[in-house]
Amino acid sequence: MLTIVIRSIIIYLIVLLVFRLMGKRQLGQMQPFELVLTLIIADLATIPMAEVSVPVLHGVVPLLTLVVLHFLLTLICRSSQHLSKIISGKPVIIVNPKGIDYRAMKKLNLSTDDLFEALRACGYFSISQVQYAIMETNGKVSVMPKASSAPVTNSDLNTDAVDSFLPLVLVSEGKVIKENILLAGVSQQEVQKIIKENNKNKNISIKDVLLLTVDKTGEGYLQTKKGEGISFQTKRLVEQ
Amino acid sequence: MKFFHYINFILIVLLLIGICVCEEVIVSNSLKDIQSKCYEIENVLSELDDLKNMNITMKIDNLEYVWTEDEKAMCLLVNHKNIQEIGQEIAKLKLYIASNDIDAFRVSIEEIKFYCHSYLHFMGANLHNVL
Repeated sequence: MLTIVIRSIIIYLIVLLVFRLMGKRQLGQMQPFELVLTLIIADLATIPMAEVSVPVLHGVVPLLTLVVLHFLLTLICRSSQHLSKIISGKPVIIVNPKGIDYRAMKKLNLSTDDLFEALRACGYFSISQVQYAIMETNGKVSVMPKASSAPVTNSDLNTDAVDSFLPLVLVSEGKVIKENILLAGVSQQEVQKIIKENNKNKNISIKDVLLLTVDKTGEGYLQTKKGEGISFQTKRLVEQ
Repeated sequence: MKFFHYINFILIVLLLIGICVCEEVIVSNSLKDIQSKCYEIENVLSELDDLKNMNITMKIDNLEYVWTEDEKAMCLLVNHKNIQEIGQEIAKLKLYIASNDIDAFRVSIEEIKFYCHSYLHFMGANLHNVL
């Protein structure tokens, strides 16, 4: 049984490495060849894990071969658009201003129910709201709404909207994120000061903080492990 | 694509080539060694009427020793089920010497040769095996 435990650890680490080498794509973002590889990897990994008579190498070699194959296919897809279309397919317009493209739907083996499901997932409940719908190579549907159904943006309203900045997490679960403190250009004492200024309990320490974020404009959020979260305004940060 | 990815790719390809070469060298050398030892035993056997012979006993001990050593390395590369029969037949040879059963001994030697030959054929990279 110990053999199975050790084998499982080895295979798990190798599969983890394989997926890291393949990139961070999620299941829904995968190209067809990536999905096929994922399914085969899942199946291959279980064989040497449970079958003690099969050497671990019999599982590792096909896994590594698939990594090499994946690398080559990715390289091919990047170097040639024509080959990329053959391997991954190409986006297909399924709804255009004239309506649903039935021929394209038939080619993709899509039913109107599937189309409506995808449109609803994008937030459009009527086909009359849609100018274009495109079936992407990863199987997702992208929708361009008609002008009348498009969400209003700040530029439509001519408002002076200010760009928002990515908040930096300075403290997370009682631990100071040194990288972000350097990026924000503040010291640990200043972080402590911000925490004390924005909390009723003046004896609070960094260890008691669940989350402290501050963005470039000085807008921040503080939540202690036992208390509620509060938004605050502090001095503007000089992001490095 | 990052340089790091190319390095990974080259390392993995080299590792795969290394494993294939190792398998070819270790497994085929071991099996061919066992086969040749079986032929030697057959040659000695052809001049004898019974198994109560020091030379045969020594050769079987040697065969068993070589197999035990090679088996450890082979288990890393070969499915254990495919080679366990060879070990079983070598163990039987000792019993046949004790019971002086020369016919069963000859059959076992043939079987060892057959298993070695069939695995050598089975691991070869040819169209029949690939398909």
